[in-house]
Amino acid sequence: MNLVRPLSPLSTDSAELVGAKAHGLMLLQRLGLPVPPGFVVTTRACRAFLAGGRFPSGFARELRTAVAGLEAATGRSLGGTPPLAVSVRSGASVSMPGMMNTVLGLGLTTEATAALAAETGDSRFALDSRRRFLATFASATNDIETRWDRPVPDDAARQLELAIEAVFASWNTPRARTYRELHGIADDLGTAVVVQAMVFGNRDEHSGTGVAFSRDPGTGENTPSGDVLFGAQGDDVVSGGTTPLPLACLARREPAVWSELLEALRRVEASYREAAYVEFTYQTGELSLLQTRRAQLTGAAAIRDAVDFADERLITRSEALLRVSPRHLDLARTPRIAPTADVLASGAGASPGVATGMIATTTEAAVRMSAGAEVILARPETSPHDMSGLAAAAGIITATGGAASHAAVVARSLGKPAVVGISGLVVDDTHGAITVAGRSIQEGTIVTVDGGTGRIALGRAPVVTGAADAYPNRLLEWADDVSGDRSRRDDAGRLEAARTKIRASGG
Amino acid sequence: MTLVENQLPVLHALRCGGYSGTARVVLATGLAEFEAESVLIDLASEGLVTREFGAWGLTSAGKAADAARITEELDSAGTRAEVTAAYERFLVLNPELLELCTAWQLRPVDGVPTVNDHDDSGYDERVLARFADLHRRAGPVLSALEAALPRFGRYRPRLAGALGRARVGELEYIADDTAAYHTVWAELHEDLLATLGIPR
Repeated sequence: MNLVRPLSPLSTDSAELVGAKAHGLMLLQRLGLPVPPGFVVTTRACRAFLAGGRFPSGFARELRTAVAGLEAATGRSLGGTPPLAVSVRSGASVSMPGMMNTVLGLGLTTEATAALAAETGDSRFALDSRRRFLATFASATNDIETRWDRPVPDDAARQLELAIEAVFASWNTPRARTYRELHGIADDLGTAVVVQAMVFGNRDEHSGTGVAFSRDPGTGENTPSGDVLFGAQGDDVVSGGTTPLPLACLARREPAVWSELLEALRRVEASYREAAYVEFTYQTGELSLLQTRRAQLTGAAAIRDAVDFADERLITRSEALLRVSPRHLDLARTPRIAPTADVLASGAGASPGVATGMIATTTEAAVRMSAGAEVILARPETSPHDMSGLAAAAGIITATGGAASHAAVVARSLGKPAVVGISGLVVDDTHGAITVAGRSIQEGTIVTVDGGTGRIALGRAPVVTGAADAYPNRLLEWADDVSGDRSRRDDAGRLEAARTKIRASGG
Repeated sequence: MTLVENQLPVLHALRCGGYSGTARVVLATGLAEFEAESVLIDLASEGLVTREFGAWGLTSAGKAADAARITEELDSAGTRAEVTAAYERFLVLNPELLELCTAWQLRPVDGVPTVNDHDDSGYDERVLARFADLHRRAGPVLSALEAALPRFGRYRPRLAGALGRARVGELEYIADDTAAYHTVWAELHEDLLATLGIPR
């Protein structure tokens, strides 16, 4: 038993057994929020699989029962008519590098795809969904290192077994082992697998997918932020085939989905009593939540949220003080773009600090222009050819890549502010211009890059440092109130004195 | 136009490494400094190489000449399938290398990525041990590439040298030097793309 578990609001299963992703989904269910029906293959099944090299005895029966339950709940049939298609995802709430992530539309065999086309009267949609299934299934199961190269079976139950095996096997890829070694995660935990009925963000023009934060994760401002892709699925983000738009675009295009999403964010945040992150898909105007966790914040955002949450009486001042570490204070003292700036776009802050300069779209232009002025190099991504440009520039922005990309590694090595993976940034180096958030910006235009909060702004943006910022100062006043010590000390000392006293008094 | 001896390696070093000083061309090609310099000057007089910002770089004619000669070289070796297979294996290792460089530069403190000030030798040792493991797993890929096209053999000693120097305390040889592991690795990545004619 305990190899496959229901995804249920009544579940008391631990996060260790069902994984953080399923645990978060069950929280959403308890909050009365829409979650696609499904089940979880547990970490216990994973550990048994990894130890024995195959599924443990009794697993096949439990899996069949769970699939039958999902078929009954949806009135659909895996591999049959009307067809049930499922998503298969690994169980960690934060994806671990090197681990198999997602298979979409599993169950869309040749026959099921024809049935889906007949049912919807939309063969373009059915074939597009089948294509996405084949692509995500192939990339999940064709592990080149373990030579796991197999054809895609046209049997839905077999597809499901293979996808679950692929998630389990990916726990032990060298890349995942490296990540665990460096982040102090035990090697023997194993991963769960979440199987849910598909929600099709590619269904029609009233469908889409996105990610949302209840508050701005860069600044802490109490405004929902994130990205949305219209008429698309999550795999489009990975493939880069579609350009994500700022979350606020959803408000105009799908007002009903937008207000439902805002309400969901509010409920999740109230439950966590922290800023929340959700992944969502909506199909023909109907919203589903696919994941939630606490938001990861920059130092400035962590401090602002702690202060705001205390002011909003969601937490006590003592809790606010315990939430902020001296490290957050340090980070918040790093100069950053002021909230009043004309922010163009945001991406991943890969190397902290602020730089202002003229946009250059090639290495050659960056080097030439840097003779007389500060330059910001904008590239789709960088390669060794861009080294001279990176060296000449005061700051770097790229359209693709994350915190572990060539541009990010080089920018940190050179100590230059960089924002990478700016969704929607198009660099046209033939005409010397960039396009971002629907605005075309010519080479030579002044922009400001904030590699800490991951934002870029038009013009010479005003910069604030923590010293001028009200939030850290208010928090530190609360710290002094708690410790009763008002002597001259550094900020970390003030915070630590309060935290020590709060902990000693039991919280 | 035909390229005389040593011209292709020099041209290709600039193609994969970007703007480079003569010393870097020497490292990439294994030529003596005077040889490299003389080839660079010849190539410049043929309009294939330019000297800008104090470094050598390719002109667009140089880039086109390199692409044509590198394709010719691969076709005459008849090893496109082998290089493609090795490139696919390289692509599995590449994200891990970048994650290791990131872990070398930033480490999580209270859940916040923080600049690694290299005060904690235990942490650095762990990262370097994973680097050594990655390098060991890259070995068969480098061997396959060298067997397919001997010029790829230059990468192994350059990568091994960078790792060796980092392990004896020259920390800049991971990601902060023109001969650092990350720099040479990125050059190898560019070389594979250039050799197979894959656009970025």
